[in-house]
Amino acid sequence: MKNNIKVQRAIHNLTQQDLAERISVSRQTINALEAGKYVPSTVLALKLAKLFDKTVNEIFELEPED
Amino acid sequence: MKTSYLFPHRFKAVSGLVFLMSFVLLVVLYTTIGDALQINAKVFALVTDIDVATDNFMFGDIKYFTWVTNSITDEICMLFVLVSGIVFAFSKEKHEDEMVQSIRLNGLAWATIANYSILLLCYLFVYGFPFTNVLMAAMFSQLIIFILLFRYKMYRFYTLQHEE
Repeated sequence: MKNNIKVQRAIHNLTQQDLAERISVSRQTINALEAGKYVPSTVLALKLAKLFDKTVNEIFELEPED
Repeated sequence: MKTSYLFPHRFKAVSGLVFLMSFVLLVVLYTTIGDALQINAKVFALVTDIDVATDNFMFGDIKYFTWVTNSITDEICMLFVLVSGIVFAFSKEKHEDEMVQSIRLNGLAWATIANYSILLLCYLFVYGFPFTNVLMAAMFSQLIIFILLFRYKMYRFYTLQHEE
């Protein structure tokens, strides 16, 4: 699964730490999300979408192997 | 998502310390110098083959629900090792989130597989009296493997590259 959290974060001018605090996860989790090493739960995906004021589909995208 | 089965983070440091100390003591008890640390006491036994009159092992002569005299140092030690080990292994991280939970679950699965692989190898290739040592280690091996694996994974997690 691909995501554009890094882009969204840049648009909203947030550091990984800021974003982590807003959605109450650790900075390392944001790092792993951006690197594509971790697929978030539905709750976390919805929190991100709400924060960035986007739909989940606009942030996350399925890849052929999913 | 809320998980209620984990112990609070404040138990982590103290249980870790107790675990380490009691584990070292347990290892010492099972070496030759351990004999000096015996504390003999009358203990209740659900099942035993210790002869009450002579305090010697009577193989095959099983008794139930009785009182026998036994050194309780190893019992106390094992109590501390297991309780503090469980609390240390299953207390919350400082920043507990869903990724930590997924790392924990993953570590638990691998620790279980690794532990039973080792136990199976020992079962197949260790015979006679030394096998009692295998059974002894099996008491806490999964806990130890899980703690080591999880701490290693958390170390890797905490040292993830900072944003560029």
